[in-house]
Formats: sequence, C-alpha cells, structure tokens
Amino acid sequence: MVQVALSLLLLPLLSAGITLLFLRKYGNIAALLSVASAGGILAFSSFLIFGKDSDQIFSWSTTWFQLSDWELSFGFLVDSPAKTLLFVVSFVGLLIHIFSLGYMADDKAKARYFGGLSIFMFSMLGITLSDNLVMIFVFWELVGFSSYLLIAHYFSTDEAANASKKAFIVNRVGDFGFLLGIIITYWTYGTVNLQELSVTANLDPSLTSTMLCLLLACGFIGKSAQFPLHVWLPDAMAGPTPVSALIHAATMVAAGIFLLIRIEFLFTVEALKLIGLAGSVMGLYAGFCALTQRDIKKVLAYSTLSQLGYMAAAFGLGLPGIALFHLMTHAFFKALMFLGSGSVIHACHHEQDIFNYGGLRKKMPVTAYTFLIGVLAISGVHFLSGYFSKDAILLGAYNLDFVIFSILYLGAILTSIYMFRLYFLTFCGETRSKSSENAVESSVFMTAPLIVLAVLAVFGGFHSLYPAQIVEYLLPDISRVAEMPHHLWMNILGLFAWVGGLLFAWKIYGSDTQSKDPLELKAPSLFQLSTSKLFFDEVYLFYVNRIQDPFFRFLEVMELLFISGLMVRGSAGVAALFALLGKSFYSGKIHHYSFWFVLGTLGFLAYAILGGGIS
Amino acid sequence: METISPSHYLFLALCLFSIGFFGVLLRRNILLLLMSLELMLNGINLALVTFSRTSLNLDGSIFVFFIMTVAAAEVAVGLALLVALYKKRQSVFSEDMNLVSN
Amino acid sequence: MDFHQILLLGSIVVPLLSAVFILFFFLNDSCRAKQIAYFAFGFPCAAGIFLFANTDPYLTGYSFELLYERMGLQSLGITFHLGLNGVSSPLFAMAGIVGLSACIAAINSEAKRLPLYLALLAFMQSGLMGLFASVDIFFYYLFHEFALIPTFLMIGLWGGRDRRSIALEITIYLTLGALISLGGLVALNVLLDAPKFDFPSLTESLLTDGLKVGTQQKIFGLLLFGFGILVALFPFHTWAPRGYETAPTSVSMLHAGVLKKFGLYGLVQLALPLLPAGGITWGPYLMWLALGNILVVGAITVAQNNLKSMIGNGSVMHMGYCFLGLAVCSSLGASAAVMLMCAHGLSVSLMFLLANYINKRSGTLEMNEMGGLASQTPILACFFAAATFATIGLPGFGNFWGEFAIFLSLGEYADNRLVLGLAALGIIISAIFGLRAMARIFYGSKSDELLSFEKENKILDLNIKEIIPASLILLPLLFIGLWPKGISEGIDVNISSRYQIFDKGDGNLGLPSCCPVSVIEDSLPESSIQKSALEEEEK
Repeated sequence: MVQVALSLLLLPLLSAGITLLFLRKYGNIAALLSVASAGGILAFSSFLIFGKDSDQIFSWSTTWFQLSDWELSFGFLVDSPAKTLLFVVSFVGLLIHIFSLGYMADDKAKARYFGGLSIFMFSMLGITLSDNLVMIFVFWELVGFSSYLLIAHYFSTDEAANASKKAFIVNRVGDFGFLLGIIITYWTYGTVNLQELSVTANLDPSLTSTMLCLLLACGFIGKSAQFPLHVWLPDAMAGPTPVSALIHAATMVAAGIFLLIRIEFLFTVEALKLIGLAGSVMGLYAGFCALTQRDIKKVLAYSTLSQLGYMAAAFGLGLPGIALFHLMTHAFFKALMFLGSGSVIHACHHEQDIFNYGGLRKKMPVTAYTFLIGVLAISGVHFLSGYFSKDAILLGAYNLDFVIFSILYLGAILTSIYMFRLYFLTFCGETRSKSSENAVESSVFMTAPLIVLAVLAVFGGFHSLYPAQIVEYLLPDISRVAEMPHHLWMNILGLFAWVGGLLFAWKIYGSDTQSKDPLELKAPSLFQLSTSKLFFDEVYLFYVNRIQDPFFRFLEVMELLFISGLMVRGSAGVAALFALLGKSFYSGKIHHYSFWFVLGTLGFLAYAILGGGIS
Repeated sequence: METISPSHYLFLALCLFSIGFFGVLLRRNILLLLMSLELMLNGINLALVTFSRTSLNLDGSIFVFFIMTVAAAEVAVGLALLVALYKKRQSVFSEDMNLVSN
Repeated sequence: MDFHQILLLGSIVVPLLSAVFILFFFLNDSCRAKQIAYFAFGFPCAAGIFLFANTDPYLTGYSFELLYERMGLQSLGITFHLGLNGVSSPLFAMAGIVGLSACIAAINSEAKRLPLYLALLAFMQSGLMGLFASVDIFFYYLFHEFALIPTFLMIGLWGGRDRRSIALEITIYLTLGALISLGGLVALNVLLDAPKFDFPSLTESLLTDGLKVGTQQKIFGLLLFGFGILVALFPFHTWAPRGYETAPTSVSMLHAGVLKKFGLYGLVQLALPLLPAGGITWGPYLMWLALGNILVVGAITVAQNNLKSMIGNGSVMHMGYCFLGLAVCSSLGASAAVMLMCAHGLSVSLMFLLANYINKRSGTLEMNEMGGLASQTPILACFFAAATFATIGLPGFGNFWGEFAIFLSLGEYADNRLVLGLAALGIIISAIFGLRAMARIFYGSKSDELLSFEKENKILDLNIKEIIPASLILLPLLFIGLWPKGISEGIDVNISSRYQIFDKGDGNLGLPSCCPVSVIEDSLPESSIQKSALEEEEK
C-alpha cells in the first residue's frame, strides 16, 4: 500500500521533472508523458480505493524532519473523504489532460503547460493524501505555486502577469491565517497529525476555540476564494481554459472544503455558524455578479464561487458529507461546462464575449448538448446530479437554519437564471459575429471528455450507483438529510427555482439579442449593481495603489530621513563636530599656541601644588 | 626711608616677568616677542639671585649662570630662525606666519 | 594529520596562498590568474562539501579537530583550533559553494584589473572558510576581519555609482559593529577564567563558575548590538541595501550570503548558550527590533524599484526571521534560525547572481524599465522564479523549513503570539515584492527602454558558463528543501545539547538563573554563584 501511495504521489512529480529537464522543446512528448502519468494516477488511485485492505483506513508515516521536540512526519491517511476526493481528482484530472491534448494542440509552450499540470496533480494529490496539517500546508503552498505557473501561461499579456501575481498573493493572505492556525494547534494539542488531533479533540473539547477554527479556516477562505479573498478567482480566468476547469473549478478550490472536512472535529458551534453564513452570502453574492458577466469564463468563475459558498454553507450546517457530495457533483458539471466553454473558445478562435456568440448549437452539437446537461445539472433539475446534492443542502438548511436557507434559495434562483442566460446567449438564436460563424465542432480529444463528464453529470447523483468506498463518507449525512421532513415542499420549491429561472432567462435572453445586454435596458440600476460586483476589486485596487504603496514609500522616506539620515549621518555629523572642535585648535597662529601652552603649564602647576602628590 | 628688603627685589622680578609674559602672549612682532622672552628670563634671574642672597645658598647664583648660557644660545638660534623666516615671508609679523588655511 | 584535517586546513590556506601568489606574480596576467582562481575556489568548495558529508551529525563536539597550541598567545588562552560541528559544517559547505559561484561570476564579468580583483576575492574566501572552521574565538574574529577588509577595497574600486562614499560608510559602520562585538568577546575572555579561549572551554568554565546576571546582561548586550550591526539588525541596517546595490556582484554574493552569517553564528554558538540570562533579558527587545526588520524593511523592499536594492532589503528582512528565532531563546528557535541561515545564504547569493545576468540582458537594474524578458530568456526566467520562490519561502526550497520552524517556535508561549502574528505578515510582504519583481521583469509587455536596448544588443538566454554557477547554488537549495534532515540532524543534536537551560526552564523564563542546568540533574545546582545572583535580584 505504501508503495502504491508513494508512486501515486511521485509519478506526476517525475513527469514534471523530466519535462523540465529534457523535454522543454518537445511539447508533444511532454503532453503524452503528462497524460500517461494522469492515467497512471487513475490506476494507482483505483488500487488505493478498491484494492485489498481498502476497507480499512490506511495510514502510514515516517519522520521527515526533526528539530528539538518537534517532529515533522510525512505520511498518508487514506480514509473515506480522501478516497472520495482521490476519485474526483484522478478521474476529472485524466479527462482534463485528454482535453488539453486537443485544446493546446497549437500552443507553442505545450511542455511548460503539461509540466505545470503534472506539478499541480502532484500537489493536489499531496493535499488529498497527507495525514498532518503541516504536510497539507506544504502541498497547499505548492498548489498555489502551480496555479501561479499555469495562470501565467500566456505571460506576455499584462492580464496574465497581474492575475497570476494576484492569485498567489491573495492565497498567501489566506495561508498567513492558516499558518497561524497550524502553529497554535500544535502548541494547544501537542500534535498536528489529523488522527491524533481528532482523538485529543474528542477527549477534551474545551481546548479548541473559535479563533483557532477561524484561523485554520483562513486557508479555506484563501484557497476556495471565499469572502473577502475571492477576488483572485475571476482574474485567474486569464489562464488556459483546461487550467480553469481543473484548478479553479474542480479540484484546487475544492481543496479548501476538503481541509474543512479534515478538521471538522475542531470546529466550535460559533465557527460553524459563521462559516455557514459566510458561505451562503457568498453563494448569493457571486450569483448576483454572474448575472451580468459578458465573458463566458467569468460567468463560470462566479458560478464556481457561488457553488463553493453552497459547500461552505453545507459544512456550516453540520453536514460535511453533503458538502463533499456537492463537491463531487460540482466537479463533474462544472468541469463539464468549463471544458465545453473551452471547446467553444477554441472553435471561435479565442473569442470569449458571449454576446459575440449565438447559434452555436447547430455548429457544435456535441458541445452544446453536453453543456446543456451541465446547465440543467447546476440549476437543480430533478434527478440530475446537481439536484441531489443541492436539494440535500437546501433541505438541510430549511430544517436547521432558515436564514441560510432563504439566502441559498435566492441564490438557487439566480443560478438558474444566469446559467440559462449563458446557454441561450451562446448556443441559441442566430450567430452574432464572424468568429462564431466559422465555428466547427472540436476534435474528439475535446468532445470525448465532454461526453464522459455529461454522463457523470446526469447519473452522478445516484449515490447507490457508486462503489461503496467512494461514497462511504457521504452516506451518513445523506441518510440524515433523507430523514428530515419537508421533502415534498423542497421539491416544489426546487422545481419553481429552475423552471422560473429557465422562463425568466428565456424571456429576456431567448429572443434575438444584440450585443448589448437586455437587462441593462430593463433594469439599469440592478445591472449597475451587478456589474460593479460591489466594488471589491476597486476597493482592493484602491487599497494597494492609494494606501499600501504610498505608505511603503513613506516608510522608505522615513527610513532615509531618520535612520539613514538622523542616526547614521547624524552620528557621523556629531563625530564631525568633535573634529571641527579639535581642528579649531590648529589655528596656525603662534599666539594661540603659546596661550594654550601657558594654560596647560598653569594647569599642571595647579594640579601639582593643589591636587596631586606633592604635599 | 625703609630698608630695601628682598620683597622689593622680588616685586621687581615679578614686574619684569609679567611684562615679558604678556609681551610673549600679545606681541605681533616676532623680534619683540623674542625680546620679551629674554625679559622673562631676566626676571627669573633676578628672583633666583634674590633667593640665593636671602638663603645664603650659592645654588641659585650658579643656576643663573646656566640660564644665561642657555638664553644666549637660544637667542642665537631664535634670531637666526627669525632672519630665515623674514627672507621667506618678507615680514616679521606673526599673522603672516600662518600656512594653516583656517 | 589525517586527510580530513588536511582538507580543513587547506580550505583556508589554499585561497590565501593563491591570493598571495596572484598578487606577487600574476598581477598582469589575467589568464593565469583565472586558472589559479578556479583552483583557489574550487578546492574549498569540494573540501566543504566532502567534509560536510563526512561530519558525524550525532557528535556534539567537533570533528576533524586541529589544534596548535604554541602560538605565543597562551597567556590569553588563544590557540589555533579548527574543527567542524553540526552547526558549522553546513555553513562551511555553503561558504565554499557560494565562493565558487562568486568566483565564476567574477571571472565572467568584465572587471578591469581582474587579477587584483580575484586575489582580493580569494583573501575574502579564505577568511570565510576560516570563520566557520574556527573553534577558537580569537581566530573566529580574526578571520572575519580578514574577510571583511577586502570587501571595502572591492566596493571602493569596482563598485557601481557612488562607490567611494558607500565604501567609506560601510567601512566605518561595520568596523564599529566589529568593535562593539570585540568588546563583548574580550569581556568574555577576561571574566571567564578558561584555559583556552574557544567555544567548548568557555562552555565548560561557565558550567563550573558562571557569571553574575548583571554581567551576563551587559556582555550579551554588547555582543547583540555588535553582531547585530554586522547582520543588519533594525535600526542598524541602512548600510546593507546601499552597500549591496553598489558592490560588484561577487562581493554582494559573498557578503550577503556568507559573511553576514558571522554575527548570527556567534550569537547562536556563543552568546545565547553562554549568557542565558542575558538572552532572556534582551529577548523581548530583540523580538521587537526583529519585527522592525521584517515589517519596516519589508515594506521598504516592496517600495523599491532597483532590483539589487530590492534584493538587499529583502535579505535584511530575512535576517529579521533569524533574529526572531534567536530571541525566542529555545532550541527549536535557534536550530530553525541556523537552518534559515544556511538556506538564505544560498538563495540570496543566487538572487544577486541572477540580478547580474538580468542587468547584462536589459542594460538596467530599474525594474520598471524591463518587462517581457521571459519570451527571450526562458531559462533565466526559470532560475529567477526558483530563486524568488525560494526567498519567499515556498516549500521545496530550504528557506521554508527555517521560516516555518521559527514561526512554530514563536507560538509556544502566549506572550509571543502577537509577535508571531506580526511576523507571519512577512510571508505576505515577501510574496508581494517577489512576485512583483517577477512580473515586472519577465512578464507582460516590454517597456520602451527595453525595446531601445534591444535594438543595440541582442538579448540571449543563459549560456553554459552562466548556468553552472546558478545551478551550483540552486541544487543545494533544493537539497535542503526536499531533504532537510540532511542538515537538520547535525544542527539539532548540537543545539539541543547546548540549549538545555532554555528548554528546561519551561515556566521559569523569568528566573535569572545564571548557571546552566547540568545535563544529568534536573534541579538547579546550589552553587555560591547562584546565591549571589539571587541576592542581587533581591536588592
């Protein structure tokens, strides 16, 4: 088992290493190597999930590093949530690797791209398999690094340069809180190992505190782009679309939720409430912003933010299994939609404004229908995958916390609206620009993963269809929700949400639209509010440009004035004053010299007669 | 008329010394400075002779001879230097003898 | 003298003799001087790595000891004593590696009077090797001066703009620091009646005699500020950024990478274990000064536009982390500080080396006059990204372990947690300046100045002569990052054995116990010195 886990982890690292050292000019070989390693990952993961002894929790660790009393171990913990995430990461990862073969076929820097994907897989698998918080933090940072690398793929554009920098720095802010949380956890509990922590936490619940939980949750806030660190995710769409699909939709952003699940035994009631509330507000806010986005990827990005809010809300309600369930289904339909958008973007020669699309359903049928399945899934159309997980969350919220329920329900309506808006504007009606006129269906590399993901998006919600090992963690919470009342009422409300959204979107966007957003004409103030995204980006930009940078320059000037100037040059000046004083004795005039000579002599005489030794 | 006591001689010596002292300190002309120096020495000589007479000890007088010898030598050297300085600076005033550019 | 001892002595003597050789015979022959320089720097590098690999990490004493007693200074207890222990052997190897890279960089630079430059560099290198190999304190200080003086000459002669005044400022400032620390060292010699003036003898004599609390505090203060000036402790740090900006590349590499560690090494090996009461008293003040390093100098780093100035300020900022590790007064903190020292030496010298390469390819060091270089120099961009991420503490490079362990050591007591919170802001600040530099230099579109520079000069990627020194430094950095046990075992064993007093005094941190707790007993020994210390406290 150990060897399998180690190979699982090291395979993508090896692929990345070989690509970096030898294959920088041979993009095609690098691509194949990367896809092969993704396949290998799937194979090894299957072994870990389904192989022998897989019904027990597998854990193993070795000391990697020791200083004084602190021991850092490197180890694996393959328990039920890890198995679920492992399945998602490896399966969706392989599909996206295959998709990339088609999407990046004419890119000039394929080797760098596939190397980056391999490093990302390595880091993400590290997070999934790690058994202690410090190792999770290590791989956390590495995931941030691979995200930086991949967002900056098109580095000659200023957009990518700024987006990658922003992503890493905002992530670092989250990591700052995470780091503090880990350190305080270590000194409070004496360990960072997850299994030992759960034992200790259950023995002595008074050790934990809301502060500790929130600090650890800072990592989640940074990585999963929750409020207030959500600003990096929309900008991260500057990277290639498969990257957005893999990292910023299916896996990396889900790592935050996974972290929460890993440490859920530490959470106090207040912390859970806060996270639930924050998550649901995010769900609503992001949905509201997505209503007016013109870039297809940005719509999907805000949609991801919104769904992550749902997962956080589920966690906050005390239903981590449902959060993981939604993570899984979301990975399927969001990756599907991102890849679909990638297919569209590729076909329309990198045009990304949805108001320049239209009528693509006739030109790219496979893409269109798979995308439709994704849209239906996310809107919660009954019996698709999204329906099961979303309904579970809404039902749980209705029974446990009505405030969260109302916010989430509003968000669900908005989700349906903007998703159908996206679909109608992109695929229905008449073509609105040159680039979409020349669109053709994409190659099989791109359409095959779409079909597979579409199948998963349809059937992925039936948890009984999965092998037991994958859904082991989800079952307790699913049954808990199943026993809650008000099922029928939820179904009715859900139906209302998606049908209402569909009709609303059809009414406004379904008919032939020009390149101006019709919502702008019909409800201008709402439109303005939505496009402003509540000014988060502006506030942060203002802070950086008007407060932070001038303050730092001010500090530089202060340092120059006071430390360099006053202290250093000042003390040099004082020494110079003494020098001047001494120099003034050297007047060159005989009379001054003779005066001082006489004074000195008199002094000696006085000392000799009055003080000194002579009686 | 009172008898002339040693204190009168000492007072005279003090006057001579003081005139010479302030001459050294305040004179501009180097030649006169040297003369004031000699005046100081002479004042000392007088004082020494007085003390020698009052304590009936010949040591003081012997010392006067030494001083006179040294004074003569010193005057010779000093005046030679002064002549050389005059040749260089064309003046005997102390303010012209300043190479230090302060 | 066996093979290892010959290597140890050779690493000091070979560069020294080569420097003398070049000065006397080959001052006009660039070609020969380069060959001699390769040997002069290659030998210590190879010897350093070999000796590091062969040092037994579980030995708390010194390996490969070399002792010459009859130096004529026995009355002061000074002997010529060389040796390597768990703390000094990685630093020794690092000095060799950075030295060889600096030499290659110097040889490839177009400096005038190259033989003289190489000779001075070789003097510096012999001083650096001797510094870490020394067990005797007098020679430790002597070798430091030996390494420091050539830097003044080199900055003054081969530096950039403003070199005369910067060389003057640095000379006076650093000599002042050395002077203050010398005061502390001399005080130690005089007050402690040890048979030999070296680290183990002083430790032993402190175990038997001990010093009064007030004396410990005063000596520690002297050593702290003296070494602090040498290591750019806030607010005595202003010489560093300007100095590194003006100095030629090899000098910046060796100074920021290796020579700065002299002060920290002295504090870790000498001041803290020998003067624990001093350490505990000065600890809180040192923490706030180190925070000044991290936050204030970090902020200034972000505001910099000149690449070398940014790297210099960044290096000062990271020294703040090391000082924090020392201020915590625990073996975890001190070991972490040593690990960060090793890794930081490598990463900062790599940054300076790459800054030189960037300068050659864009004609400027002002970052807003660059841009978009990555399309033409991908290898350089790759190395620079590696160096930047190492500096900002990405796991996978050595700096992360040191930084993380320092933060961990800060979290132990609730009083330090405010400092921890403020210090951890440093990871955000370093990410900001590191990534801004990366984006401004390599990403985005080219600036006008770069475009006009490109018309005159072709921009080429790194050639093999430039890749070798960069890889030479990057590989150990990766080694420490991926396999920290390689250096941490030796450090841990050595420091834990000497920091017993801090670790045992778990709650007694306020108690001015001046005698180190002996390893065997659990309770404090009842000695007369301790009684007088308590009396002094009662007054």
